Amino acid sequence: MRISRRDLLKGAVAAGAAAAVSTDAQARAPVPARPNAVGMLFDSTLCVGCRACQQACKAANGLPPDPAHAAGGVYDAPADLNSSTKNVIKLMSEGGQTQFMKQQCMHCVDPSCVSVCMMGALHKEGEGKRSLPGARPEKAGTGIVMYDKALCVGCRYCQIGCAFNVPKFEWRDPLPLIVKCELCRHRGDEKKSGPLAVANPACCEVCPRGAVIYGEREALLAQARARVAARPEAYNAHVYGATEGGGTQVLYLTAKDVAFTQLGLPSLPEESSASFSESVSHAPYLMGVTPVALYAAMAFVIHRNQKRDAHTTGEGQ
Amino acid sequence: MNDIGIDVTPALEKEGFSRRDFIKVCSMAAGAVGLPAWAGEKMAEQVATGRKPSVIWLHFQECTGCTESLLRTAHPDLGSLILDLVSIDYHETLFAAAGHQVEAALHQAVAREAGKYILVVEGAIPRKDDGIYCIVGGKKATDTLKELAQGAAAIISIGSCASWGGVPSASPNPTDAVGVKEILPEAFKAGKIVNLPGCPANPYNLLGTVLQYATFKTLPKLDEKGRPLFAYARVIHDDCPRRAHFDNGRFAQAFGDPGHNAGWCLYKLGCKGPQTHANCSLLHFCEVPGAWPIGIGHPCIGCTEQGIVFNVPIYKNLDIEKPTAPMAYPGINPEHGVVSRSSVAVGVGGAIVGALVGAGVVASKKLSAEDREKKE
Amino acid sequence: MSATEHARPMGGPLLDRNMKVLLVLFAVAALVVVYRFATGIGPVSNMTDGYTWGIWEPVNVVVFTGIGAGAFGVGLLCYLLNKGKYHALVRPAVLVGAVSYTLGASSIMFALGRPWNAYWLPYAPYWNLSSALLEVAVCVLAYTIVLWIEVLPSILEGAAASRYPKLQALGASLGPRLQKLMPYVIALAILLPTMHQSSLGGLMLIAGPKIHPLWHNALLPTLFLVSCLSMGYGAVVVLVNLLNVTWKARLDQELVAGMSKVNAGLLILYLVLRLGEVVVHGKLRYLGANFATLLFLFELALFAAPAVMFLLPAVQRDRGRLFGAALLTLAAGAFYRVDTYLTMYRPSGWTDGVANAAGWNYFPSMGEMVVTVGMAAVGIAVFIFISRAFPVVVVDETRASNPSRS
Repeated sequence: MRISRRDLLKGAVAAGAAAAVSTDAQARAPVPARPNAVGMLFDSTLCVGCRACQQACKAANGLPPDPAHAAGGVYDAPADLNSSTKNVIKLMSEGGQTQFMKQQCMHCVDPSCVSVCMMGALHKEGEGKRSLPGARPEKAGTGIVMYDKALCVGCRYCQIGCAFNVPKFEWRDPLPLIVKCELCRHRGDEKKSGPLAVANPACCEVCPRGAVIYGEREALLAQARARVAARPEAYNAHVYGATEGGGTQVLYLTAKDVAFTQLGLPSLPEESSASFSESVSHAPYLMGVTPVALYAAMAFVIHRNQKRDAHTTGEGQ
Repeated sequence: MNDIGIDVTPALEKEGFSRRDFIKVCSMAAGAVGLPAWAGEKMAEQVATGRKPSVIWLHFQECTGCTESLLRTAHPDLGSLILDLVSIDYHETLFAAAGHQVEAALHQAVAREAGKYILVVEGAIPRKDDGIYCIVGGKKATDTLKELAQGAAAIISIGSCASWGGVPSASPNPTDAVGVKEILPEAFKAGKIVNLPGCPANPYNLLGTVLQYATFKTLPKLDEKGRPLFAYARVIHDDCPRRAHFDNGRFAQAFGDPGHNAGWCLYKLGCKGPQTHANCSLLHFCEVPGAWPIGIGHPCIGCTEQGIVFNVPIYKNLDIEKPTAPMAYPGINPEHGVVSRSSVAVGVGGAIVGALVGAGVVASKKLSAEDREKKE
Repeated sequence: MSATEHARPMGGPLLDRNMKVLLVLFAVAALVVVYRFATGIGPVSNMTDGYTWGIWEPVNVVVFTGIGAGAFGVGLLCYLLNKGKYHALVRPAVLVGAVSYTLGASSIMFALGRPWNAYWLPYAPYWNLSSALLEVAVCVLAYTIVLWIEVLPSILEGAAASRYPKLQALGASLGPRLQKLMPYVIALAILLPTMHQSSLGGLMLIAGPKIHPLWHNALLPTLFLVSCLSMGYGAVVVLVNLLNVTWKARLDQELVAGMSKVNAGLLILYLVLRLGEVVVHGKLRYLGANFATLLFLFELALFAAPAVMFLLPAVQRDRGRLFGAALLTLAAGAFYRVDTYLTMYRPSGWTDGVANAAGWNYFPSMGEMVVTVGMAAVGIAVFIFISRAFPVVVVDETRASNPSRS
């Protein structure tokens, strides 16, 4: 069986075209923190569980009170993050130790939710597929993870991907949204200077102890380390979020004998899940060359097989 | 004439108060120490029969605020009436006399009431340089205190200064000012010293303690710092009328802001209520309801607590000593009891899987059987 | 190819009792879906923020499309590797594939929370290329269309043979034109499932901390691809046996046994990869007296048993045993998928192979199960309908003409 020159030429041209086509670079190096990354620092040794932050978050985001059945809690006292609670205070009480834990979106440096969102509904500010409509255009570099409901199909893959189980879904709404903290970007004021121009988290503004403070990630990281260095007998030496899962923009400090896992913060490797997933998934694709080349080769072979069959049997199928 | 012997009614009526008012005051005092209402009547009876307890009141390093708070009642006459319930045999502020006369009065009272008088101490006692920094009537405070303590049936330290040193003891404490219990450690260990800290102390706490002793010859139960439990067992935070605001996260952010005007919690402004043991939230000053720091919109400064007042800045805030009961907070992994695993659903699910498995087995067997038939 | 191998419509009543039952099941499911659109997903299902995909994603989408991978597998054998003897299996396999994928795609439409935004999916500038789910969504939608194009020849043939002259003309003119395009369609029909079936495995890569270490590994795409081919071949064997029993469809035992040997190779490859990964990465330490081990060994057994059976001559000769072994491959693939997506998924993750306390639990609700069963039912109904009306199934003429056979 001889392959005709025409077939060969067709195949070669197809393969050549395939090689010339390239899609986005899929090299998956670790993602650095954005240059003007802003975030929060939560020092659980200072938190007294007054829940002012919980109330302020509800007020600032226009969230309704929690109905009693939503998370099995008392009316308006949510037991966990949910579709009407973007920030919650929990109590860790183990072996005689008690500590309060503030839970909200971690605004990861390399977020899993951003990696998995099909249409980029969840994206870092300024890095989405389109800028969210609104008074203030998005500005890249702050690293705030934002949600564009117009692009969201409600697939809830972000809930699967997030290691912190932050995004919540409006299960009882026929027009449901994904709900999570967005660092009160809507409270930012361009007339102000510094990080406050970008965002102004209500929880940080109202905390009476300064247990949660807002600022640029670099500065907060330095502050956290300084606190640990100043009082090593009071703090757990590690600052959570410096490297976990690629790093987060919301950092945590805890008391000396309290492990972060006791506060519900998962123990994560330095490599982000997004990095791992994308590296493995994209490896065979070779920037889009593989599928095109494969298609060309297979079309060529199948066509040749059919022609061969037609010649031998005189029948087509 | 009435059943209690000596008739105080004419004296009361002259002042414009009935016997009922008198018993009311005694009942209030009894209530302040957590005694039952009938104790008030018993107190009144004691008073009426003329066996008023003798009180010797010493002043050392003090501002006289505690005495003033005793006098600052809404009704000055009632104030003096209260003072009539006890026999104040020595008081440097209230006595008109001065100098040798008043010293003589002191010695007479001590001699006359030896073993029976209540020694009330107001003010701290300096120890530095052998105690020369407080000399009254030519005698060092330390000496006076030790001497008079010997004949006292009970010693009451009124005010933070006498309780633990107060203002004079604020860093760097140049005179080494201490409270009564540091000067009289054995008496303290023996439970003879009652500390009533406060700056000023709440006068009703004094009144109640004194009257309890006068009526029942017992001192109220004390904590490890010698403070009566009826007044100092709980912190201000526990009984604060603004507690609901704290629990709901409503804080005044600055003096004069809308939250402050609305009477919201003052925790963010530095209120020391959460760590201050006192009963000011329940028993206000000057007989005026609401006349206490938080009531008028200023955070508590923790004036009863050594280590807080005159030590921690007024507008710096603190840890909560006892957070709200843990039941009120969700755990780190709270139960989400949403899914009702109905047994019907489980049964149906099992049935579906079972049906599929069963059908597969049956079909497989049937096909095998057919094949065997075919072969035969 | 002999004349007896030509497909023909099965005919018969289109709305017999079986069909009525299937359609009733579907009607109930449809009601639930309508209710879901009216009130949200929460009221009809037990899905919560902890277990957010329930059974609709793992079963309706992943398992059903795995069953439909028969089209992929047979197409691979028949057209790419040019083993023309499998030709008779192509049409039924492709129809099962088209139906299964349609079920999967429709299930996605109501499993999504905001399906009206799905119109953005074809808009390439908005694609987030790092998302495996995007790849799955676009690929599955495209592949469903391709599968129905592959079914078209049967439809057009049926049209060409119909009584109505317009349809005849349509069939006669479009048929040959479609024939010319088929190689390019079939190449797509092999490329697309390679991509999305492996991506279905890749979906769970991101959930690393939340999947039990025995199930989470870098080989997830490969394992899903290999097991889907295996499921596909198994599904074809089950299908032809069912067709044979129902309509006396041609069942060449040697042919399916031969295909099953290929399947055995895939099953063994799967086992080697899976076990190898566990051993090489030091995951044997997670085995012990626990549920995970039980499930893991059960899955391995489900893969190993048919692998062994397919290679035994006693099984290869016996229709029933081969059928049973093929069912086992379906079960194996289904279990593997459901375990990876659901059973061994914990919202708060795992520490050393032990699930962290999470406070969430899940069991499918009646609504979810009704919908899954109803979707399967309508899939079967559609298959039956098309097979009756169009030439899909090849009947064993010799056997059919023998009156002693029932």
